[in-house]
Amino acid sequence: MQLNWGDDDERFRAELAAFLDEHAPAEAAAGFDFQGEAGGDGGIVPWLRDWQATLFDHGWMIPGYPPELGGRDCTPAQTLIYLEELARRRIPRASHFPGYAIVAPSLLEYGNEEQRRLVPAAIRGDTIWCIGMSEPNAGSDLAALRTRAERRDDVFVVNGQKVWTSYAMVASKCFCYVRTDPDAAKHRGISLLIVDMDTPGIEVRPLTHITGQADFAEVFFTDVEVPVGNLVGPLNGGWALTQGSLAHERAGLWVDGVARLDQTVRALVDLAKRTGKDTDPGVRRAIAAMDEQASSLRSLGYKGFASFAQGSSAPEHSYMKMASSEAGKASYELGMELLGAYGAVTDAELGEEAGRWVTNFYVSFANTIAGGSSEIQRNIIAQRVLGLPRGV
Amino acid sequence: MDFSLTDDQQLLVETARQILTNECPPRLLRAHLDDRSEYAPLWQHTRGFAELGRGDCTDLCLFLDELGFVAAPGPFLATTLFAALLEELDADTALRDAVAAGEVTGSVAVAGRSGVWEPNDDLVKSFVLDADAVDHLAVVSATTGTESGVVVTLLPNPGARALRAIETVDTTRRLFEWDTGDEIGAAIPCSSDAWRAFADRAHVMVAAELVGAARRCFTMALAYAKEREQFGRPIGSFQAIQHKLAEMSLVLERATAAVHYAAMTVDARDPDRTRACHVAKAAAGAAARRNLVDSIQIHGGIGYTWEHDLHLFLRRATGTEYLFGASSWHHDRLADLLFG
Repeated sequence: MQLNWGDDDERFRAELAAFLDEHAPAEAAAGFDFQGEAGGDGGIVPWLRDWQATLFDHGWMIPGYPPELGGRDCTPAQTLIYLEELARRRIPRASHFPGYAIVAPSLLEYGNEEQRRLVPAAIRGDTIWCIGMSEPNAGSDLAALRTRAERRDDVFVVNGQKVWTSYAMVASKCFCYVRTDPDAAKHRGISLLIVDMDTPGIEVRPLTHITGQADFAEVFFTDVEVPVGNLVGPLNGGWALTQGSLAHERAGLWVDGVARLDQTVRALVDLAKRTGKDTDPGVRRAIAAMDEQASSLRSLGYKGFASFAQGSSAPEHSYMKMASSEAGKASYELGMELLGAYGAVTDAELGEEAGRWVTNFYVSFANTIAGGSSEIQRNIIAQRVLGLPRGV
Repeated sequence: MDFSLTDDQQLLVETARQILTNECPPRLLRAHLDDRSEYAPLWQHTRGFAELGRGDCTDLCLFLDELGFVAAPGPFLATTLFAALLEELDADTALRDAVAAGEVTGSVAVAGRSGVWEPNDDLVKSFVLDADAVDHLAVVSATTGTESGVVVTLLPNPGARALRAIETVDTTRRLFEWDTGDEIGAAIPCSSDAWRAFADRAHVMVAAELVGAARRCFTMALAYAKEREQFGRPIGSFQAIQHKLAEMSLVLERATAAVHYAAMTVDARDPDRTRACHVAKAAAGAAARRNLVDSIQIHGGIGYTWEHDLHLFLRRATGTEYLFGASSWHHDRLADLLFG
């Protein structure tokens, strides 16, 4: 066990810090409160697109990748430092996540040569991608998806519906999971297609969140013809590809959630002082308990990273996903409690805090649902980490 | 930043686990219930690890975790706390060497009757670990006579004094109250830095032991959930039980990581160490409470019986939660740091 980073790693951090000091957009410092007030056109913020391209061009977009893919071949520890430094400075990394975080690594691993040519633009953010996974009847049970693709000469004909599809309104391409063998067991009949969003037969209907924002959508496919060359990986072998994400960054996915929790703790301290509740022993203790969680979760994240870097599986990912999202929700709830009768007020004329905490509380509901709900994480921990028998 | 165990640390854990499993079975804990001298054969094995007391806090905490896992009775925790204080005081080299060699035992008296482990001027010292059996006692007191306001008195053979045993639910641990009267004589000044360093180390040490006890409760519950069948299948296949165990392991894992981090900050004399050690003890308390409550629940009726061994570890966890500050006290100290 060793508390400090090595000299090489500290040099890496210094180089990154110098780059960020010089290039980080002013909007990054000012604009992002807690969860990030995304907005923009279909969820894409224009200055963030420019920033993503700048990161790519300087080899700071995915530092663990080679330069031609927006990186600098850095080590896993340096990737962790990179994620920490961005989170600490509250600098977002990309205008949208599907392209660089899901499409790029999946195509690099499973795509053919032509498909792999799509990768740089996906990472740089030049191409906006959406991911066609969830359906009305396939949420946590993703393998139950029903959108069908039938082979007809040299096209697949796609019919069905996707839902909760982030950025579908602005995306030019969709990474779409479809059923190609309705008779096989449900995990064995799924394939992955690249679908151009301007193909006839695609209809996108924006879905508005409970917060009033709309950055995801329902997508309807009616006799959509997709060239067979757009099949990614083997026919009926798509299930393995649903697990695709930046594998080498997986052990650092917790960094952002924990940094946010840390920042919320500090905001709670300020709020308690401003509302004169900083002498209330119950309030002090509740905020300290939140700090205990944030701090111990950070340690757990590092511990998971250590086993990941040694080549072991890192079950900490499920712990971190579940715990940081649940704690996040509770932290905003605490802020609302400190506001007393103003907890639910969103009237901006009634002070700078109006709506800030309750809005973040609502936004945080998504974090315990999306990307594997807390309940699914508990199943994963119980069965894959603790070795309990498959549940009923 | 690296949380992985070195080969030496891995070996330390494996060796400790092997010795303690053999030498501290539940039947020793039951014998100790009636006769406290039953810890003696175990001490012959654990004294060989006493040098950890003045070594790296990370190694010491790995060993303490294993000690908590078997709920080992005996003066190891007391003696290594004593060693930590002696090191900070830069006191008597011969005594420090003898303690590190496992030849001499000791304990530290801090809390007064108020039960706060901070220097105080109460002439009655309370919650003193193993005071009747150790060779030396270090009494920490508040005074107006020194710059830091803290002094330490070293006394030999505390067992010869009129000690009052404090009964707690934890039958694996011995605690005492002692009215020092006018015995506090020649005292060694203790700087604020030395006291702070001792307190930080003590907090993470007790946290490490507590995490071990919590881990035992968890391990027993997990094993039971896999073997106990109801409705024709293991109860561990039911989601209600699975989710309980997932939450238990989460709080346990995060407490373990918090202890490792805090121990590293102690070894590095990192500026974050006081805060990290408060976090570690608070998180360990949360892990212990959740795991002891839910392990009983998962065991059902059998866990509620005297015959079943679970209660021995339950007791250890409950008692240790309150040593060197309960979670709420550490939260209050964390709040002091947060609010400035």
